[in-house]
Amino acid sequence: MAHGYKAVTWTPFKKRFDAWMLAGVAVYLTGFSAASSLATTDGESFTPVQMLIRATGTLAFLMLTFILCIGPMARLTPRFKPLLYNRRHLGVTTFLIALVHAGLVTLWYHGFSDINPIVSLLVSNPRYDSISGFPFESLGLIALLILFLMAATSHDFWNANLGPGLWKAVHMSVYGAYVLLVAHVALGAIQFEKHPAYVVLLASGAAIVTALQLYSAFFASGPDAKTRPTDGWLEVGSAADIPDSRAIILEPEGAERIAVFRNGNKVHAVSNVCRHQGGPLGEGRIIDGCITCPWHGFQYRPEDGRSPEPFTERISTYETQIRDGIIYVNPRPLAPGTPVTPSLIEEAVR
Amino acid sequence: MNHKQDDDSFFIGWADTPAADRRFFLRAGLGLTFGAAAMAGGLAAFQTPPGPGMWNQGAVREWRGIVTGTPYAMLRTLDLGGGPRTALLSCLGKCGVAARIGSLAGKAVVITGSLIQRGRHSMIAVNEMGEWIREDDTPADPSLVFPKPEPLGRISLAGEILDSKCWFGAMRPSEGKVHKSCASLCIRGGIPPAFFARDRANKSALMIMMDGGRPYGYDLLPFLADPVQIDGALSRWGDLLILDAAIGNFERL
Repeated sequence: MAHGYKAVTWTPFKKRFDAWMLAGVAVYLTGFSAASSLATTDGESFTPVQMLIRATGTLAFLMLTFILCIGPMARLTPRFKPLLYNRRHLGVTTFLIALVHAGLVTLWYHGFSDINPIVSLLVSNPRYDSISGFPFESLGLIALLILFLMAATSHDFWNANLGPGLWKAVHMSVYGAYVLLVAHVALGAIQFEKHPAYVVLLASGAAIVTALQLYSAFFASGPDAKTRPTDGWLEVGSAADIPDSRAIILEPEGAERIAVFRNGNKVHAVSNVCRHQGGPLGEGRIIDGCITCPWHGFQYRPEDGRSPEPFTERISTYETQIRDGIIYVNPRPLAPGTPVTPSLIEEAVR
Repeated sequence: MNHKQDDDSFFIGWADTPAADRRFFLRAGLGLTFGAAAMAGGLAAFQTPPGPGMWNQGAVREWRGIVTGTPYAMLRTLDLGGGPRTALLSCLGKCGVAARIGSLAGKAVVITGSLIQRGRHSMIAVNEMGEWIREDDTPADPSLVFPKPEPLGRISLAGEILDSKCWFGAMRPSEGKVHKSCASLCIRGGIPPAFFARDRANKSALMIMMDGGRPYGYDLLPFLADPVQIDGALSRWGDLLILDAAIGNFERL
């Protein structure tokens, strides 16, 4: 829930989540270092800095791949929704690991000379006109800057001040960062590390992310109904089709999706878009009398689309009516927070 | 109607985690942790071996011999064992010291620095913190006079141009595209470039490179770390192999 800049506060779940995440990071880095040392003979070991560059680089790629799978997976199974809830901590951690990778690379490969390391990073390899010889470091630098932008604006303060639309647009740039990262690895490390395992990992990671995102975009995230108005009203369907405390999602042509909730014998219609991060309210539930977003638990009263006091978020509401057991919604949104009298389901339908 | 859930659990971050989610996350957490360990072990084990080479920066000592500054800073010394041998010279970072040899060129000197060594290839990183070179009061052994080049003929070889300091042991690994920028800085700073070639029988050779008897200009830099075919004149300078090749005789493969 939110007030002011809408902070999502620390919860026991977040603390457990972060503990597992940090343990996983520690296990990976330790395991990579130990295996690197064991795999090489005395006198042919990696320098510690170069080993850490590789460990952090591979880990950042794996984490970003995993992060981009969370959203589509949460659509495939609700079990992944808690991961969605804490995805930002994964994102910030990934940025920090990528930052360590970039810092060590800049220090080790571009330092210890009289040329500015950042300048060296951009000009030491001048083959911008070649694909195989392309200076992959610049791709990694741009990806890192995008991750920085996202990490820096990950707090709900920025979500509130930029607005959910702009904030979401900024954070969609993660897909651009991932494309750059795949190119960074393909034109960089893979040119040297030619064991098939690396190629398979890179290709399968990119393929899984692409497949899941496409599936989510075209098959798993559609509305329950795409409707055209009849007499100015949208037909939702039978009241019996909506389980109690749940919703059906409508997509009016050319307009924002509408979530039609049933709360006992009352029917309410509100915007499907949560004010916090644009979460799909229609995939949430009514808990303690409030529509509850499945992403971060933001709540709104179904009768007026307002968060309960002291919170201040508001979403659009819609008029509803029931004729012959069929629910209809007026697709014209009312101003956010406008009270609407709910339609009542007759006992026979319930 | 993908939003409909058949079970009664509904996760809310600020509320108690449903039992089904707790069970799932315990299993997922354990699975991801073991997966992280397995992935780390697998990826690390598949890495290309970085090659040998040692640089113990703490082992600073004095080296006696005859020094030269052309085409690169080098010390011919008996201190490496096994008769007269040549050690290239560098600063502690990514720079050469040829310009600082000055009037000491051709004289017996004492140099303070640490050894970078890969097999029979040696470089001394001079200790710039203090007086790292001084004329030796004791005359040098006559065998340390730099020999005249012994021509070995023209060759055409495929391989990779890299910087000698990193390849000798300053970095592990020190080859390939990931190291290109570092090699560029090193060679731009005066570290001697070297050509590493390997034939079909897996026999390899490292040759110090120069262009008409002089160090290369910056036009060498784009070729670093790329697979190239080089046509040039090979010669032996004592225990060093020298490849003299103009950039016009480079062909990127």
